[in-house]
Amino acid sequence: MLVLTRKEDESIMIGDDIEVKVLDLRENQVKVGIIAPRSVAVHRREVYLAIQAENAQAAAVSKVDNISNLIPR
Amino acid sequence: MQLETTRFGTIDIDPDSVITLTQPILGFQEFRRFIKLPGPSEFLTWLQSTDSGELAFILLDPRSVIPDYKADLTKQELSELAVSSVAELEVYTLVVVPPDRSQIRTNLRAPILISPKHRLGKQIILERSDYPIQYFLAQHQPGQGQPQEVSNARTDA
Repeated sequence: MLVLTRKEDESIMIGDDIEVKVLDLRENQVKVGIIAPRSVAVHRREVYLAIQAENAQAAAVSKVDNISNLIPR
Repeated sequence: MQLETTRFGTIDIDPDSVITLTQPILGFQEFRRFIKLPGPSEFLTWLQSTDSGELAFILLDPRSVIPDYKADLTKQELSELAVSSVAELEVYTLVVVPPDRSQIRTNLRAPILISPKHRLGKQIILERSDYPIQYFLAQHQPGQGQPQEVSNARTDA
């Protein structure tokens, strides 16, 4: 892993078009700004992983007989 | 074109009905082409991959359980689907159906948006919303009291 030390308002370029900027530093929290092309999806990692796991469960669905009575008609 | 599927047998696919995903369903990067097939009720729709007969998702119209459900998209997200407003899009959420009925749930945080006109779609993550990734449908059953507040069901602190 590449490790770089940055101060507030300093940033890092990833390739030509992705910029990661340290906006604010608190005791145990850092606010990060990301400028990236729209083709690059940017998500908080734990949310991304949770959605990926839920999608995998959704793909495993084969029988749906028991859903119908859970939703209004 | 014909497709052999695990859930629906061999089906005929009209190439003009194929929907292309501009962003993948997370974890399914290589599957970008799907068709919609009718589900068991008017609020349920199958999304069958045309790249793999084994891959399909069951989609729910989230407004059937949360009448004021809103997917707020940025201008960029809208333009990627070639539309200018969410009103032009079909909004669906993925459903997980475990054997335990009480565990049947839908992902309100990461809906699937489809532009029927352009046959484009994608999964988006509503970064600014409090909608849960796991919203249990059983909590909506009539006679079981008020639905739980969505904000209490956050899965992301």
